[in-house]
Amino acid sequence: MDQNHLSANPTEPLLAAWIKWTMDFWESMADMGPGPQEAAGGAEDFSHAALKMWQAFFSLLTEPETVAAVFKGINPPSEIIMKMAQAGWTGYFHLHQQWLEGGAGVEEPYPEAYGFENLDQDIFKICSEIYEQDFRQLLNLPQVGLTRLSQERANRAMDRFSQFQGAMAEFIYLLYLPLKKSLREMQRPETGGEEPEEFKDYYRRWLKLLEGHYMTLFKSPEYTGTLSHTLNALEDFTLAKQELLAKSLEALPIPSDRDMDEVYRELYLLKRQVRELTRQLAQVAPPPDYPEDA
Amino acid sequence: MIDRPQIPLALIKAMLSADAAKAAHRLARAKDVLLGPLNTEIGATPYERVYQEDRVSLKHYRPQGTPRIKTPLLLAHALFNRETLLDLQPDRSVVLNLLREGVEVYLVDWGSPTRKDRFLTLDDHLNGYLHNMVEFICRRHCLPKVNLMGVCLGGTFGVIYAALYPEKVKNLITTVAPTHFDIDQGLLHIWMKEIDADRLVDTFGNLPGNLLNITFLLMNPARLMFDKYVGFLENMDNREFVENFIRMEKWIFDSPDVPGETLRQVLKDLYQQNLLIQGKMELGGRRVDLSRVDMPLLNIYGQYDHLVPPESCQLLTSKVGSRDTEDICLDTGHVGIYVSSRFQKELIPRMAGWLLARDG
Repeated sequence: MDQNHLSANPTEPLLAAWIKWTMDFWESMADMGPGPQEAAGGAEDFSHAALKMWQAFFSLLTEPETVAAVFKGINPPSEIIMKMAQAGWTGYFHLHQQWLEGGAGVEEPYPEAYGFENLDQDIFKICSEIYEQDFRQLLNLPQVGLTRLSQERANRAMDRFSQFQGAMAEFIYLLYLPLKKSLREMQRPETGGEEPEEFKDYYRRWLKLLEGHYMTLFKSPEYTGTLSHTLNALEDFTLAKQELLAKSLEALPIPSDRDMDEVYRELYLLKRQVRELTRQLAQVAPPPDYPEDA
Repeated sequence: MIDRPQIPLALIKAMLSADAAKAAHRLARAKDVLLGPLNTEIGATPYERVYQEDRVSLKHYRPQGTPRIKTPLLLAHALFNRETLLDLQPDRSVVLNLLREGVEVYLVDWGSPTRKDRFLTLDDHLNGYLHNMVEFICRRHCLPKVNLMGVCLGGTFGVIYAALYPEKVKNLITTVAPTHFDIDQGLLHIWMKEIDADRLVDTFGNLPGNLLNITFLLMNPARLMFDKYVGFLENMDNREFVENFIRMEKWIFDSPDVPGETLRQVLKDLYQQNLLIQGKMELGGRRVDLSRVDMPLLNIYGQYDHLVPPESCQLLTSKVGSRDTEDICLDTGHVGIYVSSRFQKELIPRMAGWLLARDG
């Protein structure tokens, strides 16, 4: 679809495309399941009926007259609101498109044991791209006027916070993967042995699997890379937040961390000097008696 | 198509119904235990704080009667955890068991670093605090040397100190002390190589204790974040179990902040460049030469230690100058040596015997 081609209402083509995508997806999903002739009960009939209704509803929505009626009477919003809304919509559309593409494929039934080579981290890459392309540029808009520096600091903190959130989400997803893999692996019948009869044995088997998956993950370059990336994002956010806070608190009669660090450094250097001089002095004239407690 | 999940629902249901009555009974008893008085005190062995310098202090434990070993033993713990690990519960206390063996014990308490401590270096900790404490004990007992025992990175500090001041250390004991860092077995060793030490320290000043707590949890989430609490639920009607569980929880989530400049050097010189074992590390303008470690050395480590694997410990005895060295590899993990009654029964008398044989 040509997303650059905008009609009088810029969201119309995107909406229509999204609806078409969704319909195609559900249609293909329905085809993957058992057909009506295979259906054993009424549940499948019901789902097919629901799908038909869904299709009918969407067909109605995609007709130009319906779209025009929906948008009729809505006052045109300001350009900046439209730009932001469009950025959000484009991002959502992109994400949804990726999700549909992923969902249409059939996942392999059982994961390969203790393997983390090809992680499905595309979703985070996409989110990051959406943020970079559509939102970050808004936070990087040049600021002007008296409050320029304050606004820039606030925007920077918001930007770093968003990036940290993204990195953290990816990191947590990685931590969730062993759980997912171990649970899926537990669905596989025990090879070369009997199924555990006791729940505790079943639990122990799962725990062993989980532990193994975690150990493999933690040693993988993907994990160390993500850990490092998350830590860097946390550090960037911490610095931006500190800068924002320090400037905000300047109006109050309290010293900032930077002020205190300077004092601490001076104190530290002075103490070192005093200790060294005391040591040199003791060599010249040793004290007559050592105190019990320093 | 994906196979239908085969989670044993029937098994779970059967287990739940069979255990329902038992669980209700357990819950009733657990209520009494949890709401009743619990003794969860840690570091309960009586001591006297005999030395204080800034935030760092020295605890002195006096054995009942005359000490069997005339040279006192100075215990140095790592900066990353509290020294209370060595006196966690009365029936499994390293300190108490050493006292029972007639060893006079001093224990370093590194205190709780605050922002003002961020500029303190490894040099300040070893050439400053630790050396001053050793001097203090020597003066107090009119002895030229002390016995030194280091735990985890405290053991690494002990090795560095012994290399810088061999004239001050009579015997050296290292327990689960990493000295060889260029290995790919321990998760900490793998992760620390990727950390940008400068960026970390410049951002945080001191390394926040909670960041350390999370790091330790991530070493084995299946056990430390899940199975451990399943075990607690299964035993929460057992007062003794609950008390010891809470004691361990108190210790494990009480990591102090780590002074930034010290951390910078630990990460760069030890974990990333592995300078110590190569004899290339420098401290306070002096090279840390392991061949100067010429006193008897007892090197103890755990076979299943996931934090400090055996590979990180066992090279030490071949690198020091001493000819009187011994390696002991125990079939336990990182803290098993300090909290397991079995290992304490075996190990503490052995350590005391080793010290006694070299006390002349």
